Amino acid sequence: MALWFLRGLARQVVTTRYPAVLDPWAAALPTPPSFVPGRLTVEVARRLVESCPSGALWQADEELVLDVGACTACRTCQRVAPDAVALSGVFELAASSSVHLVKRIPIEGGER
Amino acid sequence: MTAPLLWAAGIAWLSAAGLGLGASRRLFLWAAGVVSAAGGAACLVGGVLLALSGRATATVLGAGDVVGRLDLRAAPLAGAFLVLLGLVTLAIGCYAPRYHRPEPATAVYLCAYNLAALASLAVLVAGDVTTFLVAWESMTLACSLVILRHHRQAGVGEGGFLFLALGEVGFAMVVAAFVILATHAHSLDLSVIAAHAGSIPLRWRSAAFVLALFGFGFKAGLVPLHIWLPAAHPVAPADGSAFLSGLVIKLGVYGVMLFAFVLLGRGPAWWGLLTMALGALSAVIGILYAIVERDLKRFLAYSSVENVGIIMTAVGASMTFSVYRQPVLGAFLLLVALYHVVNHGTYKTLLFLEAGVVENASGIRDLDRLGGLVHRMRASSVISLVGTLGIAALPPLNGFVSEWLVFEGLFQGFRVHSHLIGVLILLAAATLGLTAGLAVFAFARAFGIAFLGMPRSSEAAQATDAGQPVLGPGLLAAACVALSVGAPAVLVALDHVVRGVTGVQLRPVLLVSNLTVIPAHTNFSGFSPTYLALFLVAVSVVPVAIYLASRPRGATRRVPVWDGGIVSFKARMQYTATTYSNPVRVTFERFYRPDVHIDRASDDPAGRSGAVHYRTKVLPIFERYLYQPVVRFVQVLARRLQPIQSGDVNLYLLYILLVVVVAYLVYPW
Amino acid sequence: MSGATAAPGGDEDRLAARLAGDIRALFGRSLHIRTIDTGSCAVCESEIRLLLAPHYDLHRLGLFFTPAPRHADLLMVTGPVVRAMEVALGKTYTAMPEPKLVVAVGACPLGGVYEEDELVRGRLDRVLPVDVFIPGCPPSPLALLQGLLVAVGRLAEKVSALSFIAEQEAAP
Repeated sequence: MALWFLRGLARQVVTTRYPAVLDPWAAALPTPPSFVPGRLTVEVARRLVESCPSGALWQADEELVLDVGACTACRTCQRVAPDAVALSGVFELAASSSVHLVKRIPIEGGER
Repeated sequence: MTAPLLWAAGIAWLSAAGLGLGASRRLFLWAAGVVSAAGGAACLVGGVLLALSGRATATVLGAGDVVGRLDLRAAPLAGAFLVLLGLVTLAIGCYAPRYHRPEPATAVYLCAYNLAALASLAVLVAGDVTTFLVAWESMTLACSLVILRHHRQAGVGEGGFLFLALGEVGFAMVVAAFVILATHAHSLDLSVIAAHAGSIPLRWRSAAFVLALFGFGFKAGLVPLHIWLPAAHPVAPADGSAFLSGLVIKLGVYGVMLFAFVLLGRGPAWWGLLTMALGALSAVIGILYAIVERDLKRFLAYSSVENVGIIMTAVGASMTFSVYRQPVLGAFLLLVALYHVVNHGTYKTLLFLEAGVVENASGIRDLDRLGGLVHRMRASSVISLVGTLGIAALPPLNGFVSEWLVFEGLFQGFRVHSHLIGVLILLAAATLGLTAGLAVFAFARAFGIAFLGMPRSSEAAQATDAGQPVLGPGLLAAACVALSVGAPAVLVALDHVVRGVTGVQLRPVLLVSNLTVIPAHTNFSGFSPTYLALFLVAVSVVPVAIYLASRPRGATRRVPVWDGGIVSFKARMQYTATTYSNPVRVTFERFYRPDVHIDRASDDPAGRSGAVHYRTKVLPIFERYLYQPVVRFVQVLARRLQPIQSGDVNLYLLYILLVVVVAYLVYPW
Repeated sequence: MSGATAAPGGDEDRLAARLAGDIRALFGRSLHIRTIDTGSCAVCESEIRLLLAPHYDLHRLGLFFTPAPRHADLLMVTGPVVRAMEVALGKTYTAMPEPKLVVAVGACPLGGVYEEDELVRGRLDRVLPVDVFIPGCPPSPLALLQGLLVAVGRLAEKVSALSFIAEQEAAP
């Protein structure tokens, strides 16, 4: 027990000061995707919807709908379409209503 | 006034016995009960008057040569026991008509019971050896008839047989003890024997004491002489068990007290130490066996063994203190022993009567199948609770007062100038402390499992109070409260008794006038049972007042009790009597040496499914290691001697000739 | 696709603001949390347990765990609300005194993993009124902290303002 404590001190492991200060390593946490609107075509959108293993992406009219609540941050969509999808880097996702978690992203290039 | 009241009681019981013979008709059943209760009331008042008077009254019945003399002497020592006899028979008289059904077997039973009560009265007022012995034996025989009421059921025969057999062994020893004393005193009159005590050589008195201790110990239920108690109590009818536990075993205690304090005079220290040791042992062994009992009445029987142990410890300590020049403490402990006799008789009778009510209502005596009786049997539950609080020695009831006073007496062992004796007395106190703790546990288990929670079987679920006797047990519950709140008055009365027996005046030292009891010495401690009771009642008003004052004025929401979120609570999820007593059983495993059998579907961990059967039985130490070897020895001896009884008439004629010749040769000497 | 919430769009924000103020006043800096697992894979539980570790140290924020629902102010629910746990969940919620909050943790109670069928309810807000949802599978302890502080009103909700539309440069 003492060794663990001393080792932590040596490696400068300290208690996080969240929410006052955000730790630098928080940037590497898995986060939901964000979409580059210019690159998001209908074909890309179709491939993204197919590939999402959690069913967090679907298409509604001219928009790609992302359910942040269903997203597990597995980055499959980012591997499928690396130009269109970036990691949002947002891990503070708490919402008072599930409506706030459903995001609509416009798809480029109409019907094709 | 005493003598007429006791005569009235005796006549009442004789009449009740006669009326009882007609108890196949309901009218006679009730008449017998009422007359018996009236006799009990008369005996109660007579006993109180006798105790308060502190003097003996003597009567002689019949001086003719044909019928023989009947010497009756009501001594102060008998006063406390007469009070108990009166109280017990009064309660049972009120209880019996509602408990029994009008049948021919009930008729025999009621006759036997009332004759047993009459014989007990005779034992207590016997003035000479013959009266005592005849009354004692009559009581034993009548009680065995009481036990054998349901003689066709399993286990009843064994219970009655054990009671009778051990009673007879004890009786033989008691006869021997009396014969020793009577021979040396050249008289059969008890008062003459008491007066001559000093002139009997010490070794004969010691022999008489040991014979009396063990002989009366058989009846009282001292370990290891107690084995008839758990056999006879469950099988006797409830009021019979109540009479046995409430009164008959106290007659054993009376016998020991008679010898130790009246007939034998001052003796060596080892008498008291032996009694104290046997008492302490009985107390702890009794309660240990009680804790693992599933049968409600066997449990109560073992608890009686425990309480007799406490009484005998107090008696033994009293004798020891008197020998070591602490007469005040000796008298105090005798007073406390008498007080505990009355207390235990009261609440044990109550508990047995209530056990009978439970058995009648549900048909079960097994604790593991009872439960939840408090919902449908309110009156019985309240009365049982009073009895349970009393016997568990919880304040402010009478059990607490008398056990507390026993401890007060024993803790003053340091006043004895011998270190060894002081330590031994303290050891006895420690044993009693363990007993008291275990007793609280045992009775929490008995009352909690039987009355609280959910019913563990369908019979328990439909048990009700309808048609069950309430007056008898209720009277005893009221007596328990009266004995505790009015403890100062009771102790004053017992002080008269003790003064009559030992000659020591406790009253100025007891300082009871302020309602405070001081155990024999002012610089030790003191407490007031009356004020304690009042205080406890008053202080329980405070949380009620706080609750009423602080009730929220806004809307409140009533929600169910938090049960961990389970779907529904099933009766099988509760503690059973066996599992509740598990901590004690595991702690004292070396004493119990239980026989454990576990059956399961398969021993393969992967294939374990289905019911698991767990059977455990504690080792009956005394039956296996004491009684069975003796019985086997007697049987072997009997087989060896069998050839003498060949059935050949000629051989018998030869025996007669030999005996005549030997007698002719021996007689001149 | 939208979750069933109690009040319609416009009043909701006003109610939320008032509730936040009330909650802040009532719970201040001392809140007792009761967790319940309605059939999760227990990874969310690991993250929740990590909150007590010295690295995240829940106690410095005045938040505590309690096993007794009678002492709890906030109910933290993981798992997709398996039907077998519905009675227990309901009893736990009923046993909590008012005012109380409910927080759904992870993707399961948000309906993200299981659809409603004969074994599972799927979404927590089909069973209880939920105050805060914390997405993630599992949400990291920092996300949990943010969610709890949002529930207590000490942090503002961020995700409603976000659009998840990246600028031309990909965010790191």
